[in-house]
Amino acid sequence: MFWRILFDSVVRRKKRKTLAVLAVWLGISLIVGLGVLCLDTGDKMNLELRSFGANIKVRSISSSIPVTVAGYELDSFKDANVLSENDFPKLKEIFWRNNITGIVPRLWVEGTMKGTIDGKKIPVLGLWLSRKIPVGQGEECATGASHVYKHWKLEGRWPKEDEAACLAGSELAENYKIEIGDRLEISASKNSMLFTVSGIISSGGREDSAVLASLRLVQGLAGLEGKVSEADISALTTPENQLAEKYRVEPKSLTPAEYERWYCTPYPENIAREIQETIPNSTARVIRRISETQGTVLTRIQGLVFFLGLITFVSCSLSLIGILASIVSDRRSEIALFQAIGAGRAHIGALFFTEIAFLGILGGILGGLTGSWIGRQLIQAIFSSEASPHFALILLSPLLGLMVAWLGSLWPVRRALNQDTARALHES
Amino acid sequence: MSKAIIALHQVHKYYLKGVHALQDVNLSIEEGQWTAMMGPSGSGKTTLLNLLDGLDRPSLGRIEILGIDTSRFSADNWTVFRRENIGLVFQQFYLIPYLTALENVMLAQYYHSMADKRQAQKSLEEIGLGARMHHFPSELSGGEQQRVCIARALINEPKIILADEPTGNLDEDNEKIVMDIFHKLDAERKTVLMVTHNPNLGRLADRRIYLEHGRVKHEHWV
Ligand SMILES: Nc1ncnc2c1ncn2[C@@H]1O[C@H](COP(=O)(O)OP(=O)(O)OP(=O)(O)O)[C@@H](O)[C@H]1O
Ligand SMILES: [Mg+2]
Repeated sequence: MFWRILFDSVVRRKKRKTLAVLAVWLGISLIVGLGVLCLDTGDKMNLELRSFGANIKVRSISSSIPVTVAGYELDSFKDANVLSENDFPKLKEIFWRNNITGIVPRLWVEGTMKGTIDGKKIPVLGLWLSRKIPVGQGEECATGASHVYKHWKLEGRWPKEDEAACLAGSELAENYKIEIGDRLEISASKNSMLFTVSGIISSGGREDSAVLASLRLVQGLAGLEGKVSEADISALTTPENQLAEKYRVEPKSLTPAEYERWYCTPYPENIAREIQETIPNSTARVIRRISETQGTVLTRIQGLVFFLGLITFVSCSLSLIGILASIVSDRRSEIALFQAIGAGRAHIGALFFTEIAFLGILGGILGGLTGSWIGRQLIQAIFSSEASPHFALILLSPLLGLMVAWLGSLWPVRRALNQDTARALHES
Repeated sequence: MSKAIIALHQVHKYYLKGVHALQDVNLSIEEGQWTAMMGPSGSGKTTLLNLLDGLDRPSLGRIEILGIDTSRFSADNWTVFRRENIGLVFQQFYLIPYLTALENVMLAQYYHSMADKRQAQKSLEEIGLGARMHHFPSELSGGEQQRVCIARALINEPKIILADEPTGNLDEDNEKIVMDIFHKLDAERKTVLMVTHNPNLGRLADRRIYLEHGRVKHEHWV
């Protein structure tokens, strides 16, 4: 009979129950949606900030003597092409591999552009445009210029790997009146090749006066297969703090415990050092300004989003509790009637709490599903990237629905059970 | 002479806003007696019944039922006492809206001991609702709902029946059905306390009590 009453109450009063489920559904959706956003913002912001550029520059040891060609400082033209392209995928195997999010090996060569009146030499930059590095277990990590140089101003599109297409630096394009779609014949020491201009790039650096193309093609032009002259690396780092400072000043002053902590913290210096050790003949330098801002901005924004998430959680829960309380209050006369017919208070309590639990859990499940969907959409809209799945949050949401539903009904049901029965009946 | 099954000693009931609904009521109702309570609207009849079924409490005074002093009863004591001993017919017909007529009757069985569908069906048939058993309260007329309430009040064969205008919403035919039921209860020597405005019904009772302004104005014994 208990379950019969419960079943009838739910099935035969669908509209009212739907209201309760709907309230929980909406509330939990919001909470879960914001939860997903909160949990992901840290990671996503980090990735987002990464696109502000590389923060570690890898060069070959012997490229320390700058060489100037045609007014441009091209420090890696001579015998500098000593880094091996094959060494770079190894960076996804080192201790800090998960912090390394972008790798762009680059090769500068000197070329000429056929058809230019003055026959002047121009710099040609070969780089990884869009590569996938295997990282074990069949997984791959996508990297390359199109991932790392998101902050460059690009008109047109990045060429594909192995496509006979190039980008023209903005200054170069202006000087030689190059437009998207133009065909350029570029030659270097070994070969020449016809490229279609797929875009004009503006980086604010020396790329602006160069022609950029796939590393493999440029290596072919210069006969430098497998060679690169430098690389840009972006890594997720922790801003330097006192510990890092202490180490920099006097490494020996660290206690073993401090050293351990220092060693396991992704300070830019630590990551750079390991990169340097991994790539033969290389020096890795931290471009400090970027990585520091990256860290502090991130901490602040994470704090802010967490705070917002907390506020949403509290306010959503409170209003949900309020709505459920009023739904239960509407049934006070029903509770009185149950009492008048002879139902004990424990029985009525069990009846109501079971029903409310059911509605809460149902609302919670629905809310968990739509909430994570909302979260994903938000992440998609804000960061234009996939949210990581938060199964814990989805699993927790029925529980959350249950808690909120119970919290909301505890007080009104208790009050209804202790109410003036005659009066409550009379009010119906 | 049978003993008093219900006894009220100097019972007062005050409501908020200075309403003195019952004033110094002293009453003794004997076992097996059919008592009709009459009086103008607002004279305190429903209030008195609610004190006897424990849905409300007296402000002053003492009420004994079946020889037990109810003034110390907790809410749970009252619930148990009520479902064991008292059948209630309300002035308004209170039914659980999402349960059918039959289920509403079975609910009372369930809380009393155990649901017995056969018996519940029989009780509804007796009261002329054989064809309406599976209807919801909202699908029943006022009179039909009233009769479901009566069936529910009687299903556990309580010793005491408290009925607040049980024929208030009934046409003549149904009134007769209900009156027959009360006759039968009388024959079974049940104690019935019935509020009614209907003089025909009042005349059938063993005793008539007239309330006015919360006081017992006069009594009439048959
Ligand atoms: N909960 C309450 N709060 C305040 N006053 C009340 C309350 N219930 C009843 N009263 C008042 O107490 C008095 C008696 O009410 P009661 O319901 O007992 O009358 P009644 O004799 O049953 O009338 P009727 O024949 O109309 O049903 C009335 O004046 C009424 O206004
Ligand atoms: Mg009344």
